[in-house]
Amino acid sequence: MANDLVRMEHINKNFGSVQALDDVTFTVGRQEIVGLVGDNGAGKSTLIKILSGAHPASSGQIYFDDKPVEIKNTWDAIQLGIETIYQDSALVPQLSITRNLFLGREPLTGPRYLQRMDKRFMDEQTRKLLGELGITKAINPDTPITSLSGGERQSISIARAMFFESRLIVLDEPTNNLGVEETHRVLKFIQSARDKGLSCIFITHNIYHVFQVVDRIVVLRRGKKVCEANPKQTNIDDIEKVITGIHDTLPEHRAG
Amino acid sequence: MQSSSRLQRLTSAPAFKRFVAAPEFGPLVLLLVEIIVFSFLTSRRASVDPFFSIFPSFLSSTNITNLMTFIPELGMIALGMTMLMTAGEFDLSVGSTFGLSAIIMWTFYNAGLTSLEVGFLVAMLISIAIGFVNGWFVTRLRIPSFLVTLGMLLIARGAALYITDGFPQRTWSAESPLVDVLVGEFRVGDLRIFTSLLWFILFVVVLHYVLVHSKAGNWILASGGNPMAAIARGVKVGRTKVWLFILSAVMSAYAGITSSIRVSAANPNSGDGYELEVIAMVVIGGTALTGGRGSILGTVLGVLILRVMRNGIVMVGVPGLAYKIFIGAIILGMMALHSTLERRTGNGR
Repeated sequence: MANDLVRMEHINKNFGSVQALDDVTFTVGRQEIVGLVGDNGAGKSTLIKILSGAHPASSGQIYFDDKPVEIKNTWDAIQLGIETIYQDSALVPQLSITRNLFLGREPLTGPRYLQRMDKRFMDEQTRKLLGELGITKAINPDTPITSLSGGERQSISIARAMFFESRLIVLDEPTNNLGVEETHRVLKFIQSARDKGLSCIFITHNIYHVFQVVDRIVVLRRGKKVCEANPKQTNIDDIEKVITGIHDTLPEHRAG
Repeated sequence: MQSSSRLQRLTSAPAFKRFVAAPEFGPLVLLLVEIIVFSFLTSRRASVDPFFSIFPSFLSSTNITNLMTFIPELGMIALGMTMLMTAGEFDLSVGSTFGLSAIIMWTFYNAGLTSLEVGFLVAMLISIAIGFVNGWFVTRLRIPSFLVTLGMLLIARGAALYITDGFPQRTWSAESPLVDVLVGEFRVGDLRIFTSLLWFILFVVVLHYVLVHSKAGNWILASGGNPMAAIARGVKVGRTKVWLFILSAVMSAYAGITSSIRVSAANPNSGDGYELEVIAMVVIGGTALTGGRGSILGTVLGVLILRVMRNGIVMVGVPGLAYKIFIGAIILGMMALHSTLERRTGNGR
């Protein structure tokens, strides 16, 4: 498809003699939420690390916006508009919400050589963003991340990606360690991100969460892509069987 | 009745609450307690025991002059260490760099190789190299800073001893404007003040600005707080740390040269053991050993707390050898305080 946002073609990755990824081709459409599922060690994280510049691929080609790109480090990925939110580690816990939001892209004020951060602008934007997040209780932008709940942290990470107009958000197990209501809020937030024009990759081994929000599911097993499915045309049991290797493919999909 | 309600209003004001919750509040209280206790004990002692009335009291101008002479030297090292520790690393080689820099400058000068100013520049360049090597080993080879800087501690100390054959270098023959710029003397009323104190204050202002208000400060805090998250945001964590290792080495070298001029001696062993005293000053001031939290103002308080303690217990008549017991107790007490506060409020800026 020529209209994909990201196309990773024939990706191989070896760690010494271990082949972590074996000829994986993976695409993400525009305004699409793709669920990437698989058991531990299936290669989900490796694939994503290649996309976000943490590891180089051993072979294969990545296209972004239909143009071949080379992603050598995290900065390259950020420049393309790929924002990766690793589980529980996207934020610096000791720092305030404001400082985290603008980390790495601090707006400056005054003469350049002073490198002074524009705190007033940063606080203003943070307050606005917190309002949009729908976090009901009033949160001060100076609040350190340590005093926020897990769901609030995830929401802030995602909001940050949206604020800086990323094109693709990669979420690594965003609903881990979250309560039921918080999970719900994060899932809703992911959908609203898509409605605003972003694409998402949602990595998880909790397929119940995936089923609620994604447009397409991709299953990896032992470094290979074993199947793709539309969640509306399959069910959780069948996908689970493919993930664990009881079946190699999905059964012919039922009517619906 | 009325005054108590006024007090209540004062203590419930947001500015007051913020002041009390600040990580620097604990060290500030401790410093004030120290000063009050030592002033009281020295004055009482002088009035009870006529022998002691010949000694200056704690708050006399002689003693304050004395205190302010020593503070900049360890203080400068502590400032560099604060920045580095905030980024999650620390530097054990500061004491050796302190000793080596003065040896290099005075050896070049005494051997007639260069002028004092050029010798100063050579010493500073070598300290930059020391900091760079420390940083390179830590960030590129991913060796813990404890091991890297332990190695550098031995190398720098060994170099100073080897260059001098273990003998102090002559320092009294120098007539140079550099001497006045670094540690010139002047008087303010009864106080004798060295220019090194002014340099120290300047460094405090600049580094506080960098840590709290500049973009670099945000990178430093993030590098120590969660390096993976910082890297994922495009923060150049490695480069930031290398610069801070260089800063730490440069501050130590500068302090070492300052000290050698002031005491008119460049001893290859000087600065021995400073690394631990400096780290103690920094953590007492509220900077986290593990990074992510740091305070230049806290470090200034930490420096003052330990120097006042060292000075005060001698004046009160406690044997000076007991000094370390008090430092140890202060470290443990302040760590307990900081961790309790952190658990209660959750710390951040």
